[in-house]
Amino acid sequence: MTTSTSPLAGGLGRIAKSLEVRMLGLALVLAVALSLLSPYFLTQNNIFNILDQSVVIGIVAVGMTFVILTGGIDLSVGSVAGLTGIVLGLALQQMPIPLAIGAAVLAGGGIGLVSGVLVAVFGLAPFVVTLGMMAIARSLAYIFSGQTAISAIPYDLSNIVYTVVLGIPANVLFLLALYALAWAYLTYTKGGRTIYAVGSNKEAARAAGLNVLLYSILPYVISGALAAVAITFSIAQILSADPLAGNQMELDAIAAVVIGGASLYGGRGSIIGTLIGVLIMVMIRNGLNLMGVSPFWQGTAIGSIIILALLAERLVNWRSAR
Amino acid sequence: MTMATASIEQTASGTIMLSASGVSKRFGSTRALVDAALEVRSGEVHGLLGANGAGKSTLSRIVSGHIARDAGEMSYAGSPFAIRSTRDALRAGIALVAQETSLAPEMSVLENIFLPELGRAGRLSYGALRKRAHAILSRLGRDHALPLDAEVRRLSAAQKQLVEIAKALALDASLVIFDEPTASLSPSEVDRLFDIMARLRDDGRGLIFVSHRLEEVFAITDRVTILREGTTVARNLETAQLSQSDIIRHMVGRELDAIYGNREAVRATPSGEIVFEVENLAARPEVRNVSFSVRRGEVLGLGGLVGAGRSEAVEAIFGLRPRDAGTIRIDGKAVDPRTPADAIALGIGLVAEDRRAQNIVPDLTVRENLLLAHIGRHKGFGLGYGQRSRKVTDLLGKLGLPADRLDSNLLNFSGGMQQKVIIARWLLVEPTILILDEPTKGVDIGTRSSIYAILRDIAAEGVAVIVISSDFEELLGVCERVVVVSDGLSIANLPTSVLNEEKLTLLAAPRTSTERNVSLLRSLSAEFGATAFWALVDGDELICLGAASADGAPEIGLAAGEAATGAETAIARAVTEKSEGFVTEPETGLQTLLVPMRNKRGHDLGWIGLTLAAGKAVPDPRDIVERVIARTDAEETTGPNR
Repeated sequence: MTTSTSPLAGGLGRIAKSLEVRMLGLALVLAVALSLLSPYFLTQNNIFNILDQSVVIGIVAVGMTFVILTGGIDLSVGSVAGLTGIVLGLALQQMPIPLAIGAAVLAGGGIGLVSGVLVAVFGLAPFVVTLGMMAIARSLAYIFSGQTAISAIPYDLSNIVYTVVLGIPANVLFLLALYALAWAYLTYTKGGRTIYAVGSNKEAARAAGLNVLLYSILPYVISGALAAVAITFSIAQILSADPLAGNQMELDAIAAVVIGGASLYGGRGSIIGTLIGVLIMVMIRNGLNLMGVSPFWQGTAIGSIIILALLAERLVNWRSAR
Repeated sequence: MTMATASIEQTASGTIMLSASGVSKRFGSTRALVDAALEVRSGEVHGLLGANGAGKSTLSRIVSGHIARDAGEMSYAGSPFAIRSTRDALRAGIALVAQETSLAPEMSVLENIFLPELGRAGRLSYGALRKRAHAILSRLGRDHALPLDAEVRRLSAAQKQLVEIAKALALDASLVIFDEPTASLSPSEVDRLFDIMARLRDDGRGLIFVSHRLEEVFAITDRVTILREGTTVARNLETAQLSQSDIIRHMVGRELDAIYGNREAVRATPSGEIVFEVENLAARPEVRNVSFSVRRGEVLGLGGLVGAGRSEAVEAIFGLRPRDAGTIRIDGKAVDPRTPADAIALGIGLVAEDRRAQNIVPDLTVRENLLLAHIGRHKGFGLGYGQRSRKVTDLLGKLGLPADRLDSNLLNFSGGMQQKVIIARWLLVEPTILILDEPTKGVDIGTRSSIYAILRDIAAEGVAVIVISSDFEELLGVCERVVVVSDGLSIANLPTSVLNEEKLTLLAAPRTSTERNVSLLRSLSAEFGATAFWALVDGDELICLGAASADGAPEIGLAAGEAATGAETAIARAVTEKSEGFVTEPETGLQTLLVPMRNKRGHDLGWIGLTLAAGKAVPDPRDIVERVIARTDAEETTGPNR
């Protein structure tokens, strides 16, 4: 036996991989179809566009993956993004950029900590806890902002988006680094494997001496903190913090995680799947925009593709189970 | 077990209802059925036997339309078997009474019985349904056993099963499959179920009885078919012509004796010092007062019936449930594990009872399941699998698990292999105390013997091993000593050399009288400044179920839970004579009165003994007898529950 074998090469890996491979296939089919429909789709410019548009939702989806892997859900990420955006906007009036970002991330993590404790310690349903937190965070965002967007954002903040490193914009680079880090964490560390074990069978994880409490709470903290990071990149681009920002972001994030093959019951899913899920979502939206499809029809298109993708997956599973 | 109702009548060779041959079925890469054959006639109970994973359930699920076969000739009621769904099966008159029932828990009994009819068009007449339900139940002889308006989720397991059977009859099923129907039933409920099955058979229906409980197979079936690894290895054997060893030979292809290995070798193992002690443990309501201790290198059994509080006791020790009282000592030092992580850090391992719910993490690979407890103990940020790689390689050899299957899904393995992986999970972290709760539950006979061998190896390496089992034969075969737990109390602590299945059964039987008898002992001993005891007397042997001593009362050489021959005690003559009055021992002058306790039906409940010091004035024996009678006449204790 070689201990260097990654667990991803294993049975779980095989399941996840085969699913990832199929979803990657779907992504490629979409790309080909869209490039046939629109000559602009496959241009270098547009590819960077797609990656750029993936950053915000992609960051939030990482946190959502952690939470969903434990069998939970975080409906509050959109509102937390809105609130922490306001926190960032206000903090930027008082302190230098890094400290302000730190304050926003801390606020997001703090909200996640509260949700996590309510779920893991008090045993409340994640759906309900984060639904409540969603309402609270949005309401606080309005109150702190005085119901208007904060547009006095220092221009320097946009450096985190537009600085080009090795030919890649900083925000895209950050996204890729975040995914690599999250993947390594979930695959190669005690904490990562414990998150899978907790989602798959909490009883067994506890009986094996794993720290179930810590790793049930941590994902919510990560999710809240990453919501703040995501909105930071968004504000850096538009140089305005809107209390309405992040509206329905949680739905996009959940959709991306689910398209990426994660089970809402926990224990099953992968960070690479989530990345593919994010790309699929963004590509569809981008393609539809290029074709000039009305934004009102985009919801129908995206919703249908999500459902069809999962339906196809289920049919494949049924056939192999029989 | 008495099963008068299930006496085997000569098979009235009815017509062939179902015949199948060459049936095969594959799930992914697993061949569940290779070449299965089965023939069921009307008016018979046909046993479908086999070790776990032999394909019994797969075959019965094919017959009941739950899954489709890959290949094979099948016919039903004289025409080719064309059943594609459970609906087809029900329409054709085939019903499955499964372990996990398919009832709607929130609906009433009546609605459940007629569930398939509720979907029909038109108005339902509850009055008519009620009448039909009564008719069906009285045909089963169980008219008053089911409240028709009760919600199904409030019913006992046996009652739910009765609803399932009534549901099958409401559809007038002519072929009924019972898949492990007795697993969650008490012995008297099993008797009642067999009575119902006999009635169904006598109606001319065909019954398939899927089980691996041999006693029950002998009690109810007319013919049996035996599967091994997906292939029918014996078909249509007349039950009356079979012995247990015949069946086991077909099931496992080897003799039974071999599975426990060398029992004498177990006995001969020298025991080390006490490493683990539990005193007066309580975790209410299930655990009231449990004490035991284990030596290094010893295999201790915790025996008793299901529900006696054994699992709850070890869960309380392991930090899986809160303790109300009690002391736990490791190497003489008091410890206080509050969580499993605490317990593991103290060197305790627990293979919990429910493999699927408490042990297996289904989405992780075999390797990760194996290394789960290691991750729990690992201090670093990474996985640290490298530290254990040698031990993993060693263990794989012992388990007979090919290394290339480490990365597959644990659920694809047999129950036996899953259990071995879970045991290995604990061996990897090298515990000093390993507790195994029902380690061979749902494990086939072949794998059992290798699990026993593993347990012996672990003990030989100096680990203190505690085995919980409801299978007394297993306890006697594997353990050096058994602590019997009954109704949350540890009531006996005996070396297996003085035990047999009957004695264990006797000790394990829950006694509603225990507390009353013990309080009688206390009052007697206090009143007369004497030693009072309660013992089962079998010829010359005594098994003490309780004792109480006043200050300065004489030692009789018999403590609660101990077994001894009369000669080994200080009251040898009294035990030999069993006289109606006080007997004085020739050397010590101890004066002992023995009073038998009997319930209303005359069942022996043991003896109450009262020993006074030499020369002390004795009370009138008749007074004592009356007090004992007053105590025991009040209620009947349950008999040995097996």
